[in-house]
Amino acid sequence: MKKFDKERVLLAIAAPVLAIVAAFLITALVLAATGKEPFSAFGIMFDYGVKSDSQVYIINKATTYYLAGIAVAIGFRMNLFNIGVDGQYRLAAFFAAAVGGALTLPGIIQIPLIIVTAMIVGAMWAGVAGLLKTTRGVSEVVSTIMLNFIATAIIGYLLQPGRLGHLDAAGTKVATTPLPESSHFFEFPTTPTPIYGFVVVAAIAGIGYWFTLSRTRFGFDLRTVGQSETAASASGVNVKKMVVTSMLISGGMAGLIGMPTLLNDSYEFGGDFPVGIGFTGIAIALLGRNHPIGIALAAILWAFLERGGQQLEFENYDREIVGVMQGVIVLCVVIAYEVVRRYGVKRQQRQVGEKLAAQARSNDTTEVSA
Amino acid sequence: MRRVSKITAACAVTAALALTATACGESSTGDSGSDNGDIKVGMAYDVGGRGDNSFNDSAARGLDKAKAELGVETKELTAKTGETPADREQRLSSLAEGGFNPVIGVGFAYKDAIDKVAAKYPKTTFGLVDSVSEAKNVDSIVFTEEQGSYLAGVAAALKSKDGKIGFIGGVDTPLIKKFAAGFQQGVKDTKPAASVTIQYLSTGTDFSGFGAPDKGKAAAKGMLDKGIDVIYAAAGGSGAGSIEAVAGKPGTWAIGVDSDQAKDPALSKYAGSILTSVVKNVDTGVYELVKSVKDGKPMTGTHTYSLAENGVSLTTTGGHVADIQAQLDAAKKKIVDGQIKVATTL
Amino acid sequence: MAHRVFFATDSACVPALSSHAPCLGECVIKASSTSSPNAVELRGITKRFPGVVANHDIDITVRRGTVHALVGENGAGKSTLMKILYGMQKPDEGTITVDGEQVTFNSPGDAIVRGVGMVHQHFMLADNLTVLENVVLGSEKLYGIGDKARAKIKEISDAYGLGVRPDVLVEDLGVADRQRVEILKVLYRGARTLILDEPTAVLVPQEVDALFDNLRELKAEGLTVIFISHKLGEVLSVADEITVIRRGTTVGTADPKQTTTKQLAELMVGAELPSPETRESTVTDVPMLTVQDLSLSAVDPDGVVRAVLSGISFTIHKGEVLGIAGVEGNGQSELVDTIMGMRTADGGVVTLDGADISAAPTRKRREDGIGCIPEDRHRHGLLLEAPLWENRILGHVTEKPNSKGAILDLKAARRDTERIVREYDVRTPGIDVTAASLSGGNQQKLIVGREMSHDPKLLIAAHPTRGVDVGAQAQIWDQIREARREGLAVLLISADLDELIGLSDTLRVMYRGRLVADADPATITPEQLGSAMTGAAAGHLEHDESPESPAGAEGTDGPEDEAR
Repeated sequence: MKKFDKERVLLAIAAPVLAIVAAFLITALVLAATGKEPFSAFGIMFDYGVKSDSQVYIINKATTYYLAGIAVAIGFRMNLFNIGVDGQYRLAAFFAAAVGGALTLPGIIQIPLIIVTAMIVGAMWAGVAGLLKTTRGVSEVVSTIMLNFIATAIIGYLLQPGRLGHLDAAGTKVATTPLPESSHFFEFPTTPTPIYGFVVVAAIAGIGYWFTLSRTRFGFDLRTVGQSETAASASGVNVKKMVVTSMLISGGMAGLIGMPTLLNDSYEFGGDFPVGIGFTGIAIALLGRNHPIGIALAAILWAFLERGGQQLEFENYDREIVGVMQGVIVLCVVIAYEVVRRYGVKRQQRQVGEKLAAQARSNDTTEVSA
Repeated sequence: MRRVSKITAACAVTAALALTATACGESSTGDSGSDNGDIKVGMAYDVGGRGDNSFNDSAARGLDKAKAELGVETKELTAKTGETPADREQRLSSLAEGGFNPVIGVGFAYKDAIDKVAAKYPKTTFGLVDSVSEAKNVDSIVFTEEQGSYLAGVAAALKSKDGKIGFIGGVDTPLIKKFAAGFQQGVKDTKPAASVTIQYLSTGTDFSGFGAPDKGKAAAKGMLDKGIDVIYAAAGGSGAGSIEAVAGKPGTWAIGVDSDQAKDPALSKYAGSILTSVVKNVDTGVYELVKSVKDGKPMTGTHTYSLAENGVSLTTTGGHVADIQAQLDAAKKKIVDGQIKVATTL
Repeated sequence: MAHRVFFATDSACVPALSSHAPCLGECVIKASSTSSPNAVELRGITKRFPGVVANHDIDITVRRGTVHALVGENGAGKSTLMKILYGMQKPDEGTITVDGEQVTFNSPGDAIVRGVGMVHQHFMLADNLTVLENVVLGSEKLYGIGDKARAKIKEISDAYGLGVRPDVLVEDLGVADRQRVEILKVLYRGARTLILDEPTAVLVPQEVDALFDNLRELKAEGLTVIFISHKLGEVLSVADEITVIRRGTTVGTADPKQTTTKQLAELMVGAELPSPETRESTVTDVPMLTVQDLSLSAVDPDGVVRAVLSGISFTIHKGEVLGIAGVEGNGQSELVDTIMGMRTADGGVVTLDGADISAAPTRKRREDGIGCIPEDRHRHGLLLEAPLWENRILGHVTEKPNSKGAILDLKAARRDTERIVREYDVRTPGIDVTAASLSGGNQQKLIVGREMSHDPKLLIAAHPTRGVDVGAQAQIWDQIREARREGLAVLLISADLDELIGLSDTLRVMYRGRLVADADPATITPEQLGSAMTGAAAGHLEHDESPESPAGAEGTDGPEDEAR
């Protein structure tokens, strides 16, 4: 029994290791093809990536990416492809910033208020897709993409001077009213730059995700729907309700994505607020196989690559190389997992077969009369 | 077994976090590179970077000129989509840390980052294009786009047959609205009966309107179909599509932006339809900053490159505005003299 | 006969059914056809296959121009063997010889080239295409897609009396007609040896007779038919030779003229037979499930609303097994879904143990004591990719021992899974393997164990022993009987008439969404039931026929003689 499990752990580790090694080899080939020496590039990335300020940067970046990965993963566990995480977090951060900027309450009230606003807005936006799917049968892939565009348009409309936006002194940048000092989230005072306190919230979100999915009835129902809708409905899960609920949760989690930036960095939502993190979240959820720890590692890897990539550009490598590397890693991971999964299934079937054969041999004579 | 491995993993992650939280090990910004007399210029472009045929390229021209004439060393980094303010801060810091001086942030998105980084590196001179920073070691390079656009409006009003004029903005940012506001005022002051149709290719945080020639072309076609015969496109890379559409209909005029688009290798074939271009001389701003640092007298404070000092101007390539030059000069004089105040918002 | 003459005059390689097309593989068949009297010989076939009974040392000789039956229990390895012969799977050991020549099939295409064709148990026809289109699909090169193909289809249809109309849409055809299209499809591709996998499973007795007439026609024309079945009566009536498979290997051959079903059955099972019969009655007069005037309509793929259930009323008492007979697709699945609450009825009342549950959601119904062995265990009963212990939780997540409040109790659930595996004899190396890696019988035992572990008041058992090996089958029957003795009400739906008659206390016949007839299982015969299933009889069947022919007296056709 012990040995059996040890092999399983090995199998579980094999896939990501295989994928990352393959990705590095392919990237090395790409680098070589562009006439650059590949291994010094990796050396630069690594040397730079482990510096203390890089560590801070990576943790801060990974905090955002982790939340994005979790938001997408909730959908994935349900077999829902929530592409709309991107629109959900932007809309959520926008309204949260607007609410936060309009009020001046003690931080202990205002910060939770901002976070809750973001989660509610994100949840509602995702819920639209959930309702469309259950009532009209609209694929969530299509509806969430469309909702991304609509979210962009809504923000574009409201983020105008005279509406919810304010023009800066130079007249070139428009943003929401900055949050009052009291609404700044706490930080870990590391040098030279601090670590976002929001990493704590991300960790709690990760633990909550893990606990809900693997330890609660609700999580079991959710996973059941993800594995087989027919079996879920036969087992008594209201699939439609579950679709809406999980979209709400996914959207609520998406609402948190913009919070590290809003509460620990920019303190306002302007034209320069980061976009596209929802899509990064898809890659990270894939990379982390929807597992809370896997997603954490994937988020850290992603942030590490971006950090290393900055240095590569500094050292006169093409800045696109990190993008190539990230893309190749995702592809390799998807392929490697499938390969390892198939191998695992075959291996398990063989074990069951062996066991059956052994049993059949031992009671070939006795069993027939049963 | 499974549980144990999970706990181990959790411990490992916690330990890793704890380790990094104390920020152990060497910092990449540990050694401050002291300059040895040579001037090293660090450029941080906005999304698109060198080669965007527009704003970033204009800054790049200034850098190239400085390199050629002043013999400075350069380093160019470019922003990516999806960046946080922290990313931009990081970019500027690494340039400052690397001994680059001046460090120039191209685009208003660098404003907050420069505010923070400038305080950390008081000995470094920073340049900020298109926005204003209060920090004392920052040279804020801003342009009176509205003034240049006003002149374009005057030209458009004079050249249009029945006073139907169009403005295509890339994204409805405040900066682009400055272009629109000046243009509209120029038209109205010259020909009160004329109408200006304003259209943006994208809105809000969706910056695709700056890089979509197809959208520019479609918008321009729509305007042409409505009888509009002069179109001013302040839309970055999308402007090329607009110019192409205008060139397809004889008797109509396009007005270019940022650089002299009649001389642009890709657009020179449409030069016959390009009435003029509103040039925003970012290159001048960049070059002057570099030169001031080289000369040991770094510029700081806000420098507005206005019509008066040719920070913005109209081109005369092709001589299409030769017949109305007198009116243009008169308008320019009034602006410079302060007789006309050009609005910066619609 | 015409093409035979043509064939004789043309001694070159032109096969009977493709007289115009140039050929490769079929030439070999002709060239060697005179040298060997055997259409197919399988020697020492061994196939090690994960999770199901492997084939080992299979030896079969099929003479040309005969109907050769291959009989064996569900799960004995017949289908695997036929997949090997049809090139869908490769044997690990052993040889296949077709028309005297040893061959290796890498794909069904190779088998077709050698004149071996297969009619699958589940039809592979596109509903929205015509018969002609279905037949030429994938074989456009043979006779084109136009008049030439139509003529060829007519020719084949006439030659073997198939009566296939080329321009009818497949969706308008009944099951038997579809089967004939499948047969024609195989013949069209030049097959000389046809494999029919359980062809009678979907047919009512009258249609079975028509099929057998077709098979005799094929045989008369010199074609060879390999006929897979576990229904011994049918096998004895149509086969020229019989090979029996047990536990993955050939255990003997039989001559149908000198064999009784009983002998054959014992050869198949290798011992005395288990029987589904429950003779001592445990029926009480306490109603457990009452269904009153239930109706349901559904929108079919063409957007037409039609009634799938109408006016369904019945009562199942404590300790009673109510069997519902019917050709599949007459509303049985919908009835189960409606009672389970997975579909919302248009009208009618469902009462469980005195409580009206008509509006209750599925989960409530399950908590209230409805257990369900679903018809399609892969779709409705299991999470194939999940470990066994998670499958044990499925459907009972709100109940003990699986959860305490909103939190799962993994320890208790795992412990209870171990218990089910032990008590219900689920053959598995552990409870962490996925459900998919178990064989069908063991999956079913797990489901039965799970459903029985929550003391159900009502058990819905839809085809509880379909695709289950003989040992598991007996066990499942025992479990149902046991529970019935303890006062369980059972709704049994099965296509296996012997199982129905053997286990049920009351029988109802379902036809086109209505309960059209009822019968007493003690007196009814499968034939009577079969004819009622086609809609030919209605009312209480006993009145019409049973006084003259009590089933017990008929000997060979009684359930105890069938292989179950």
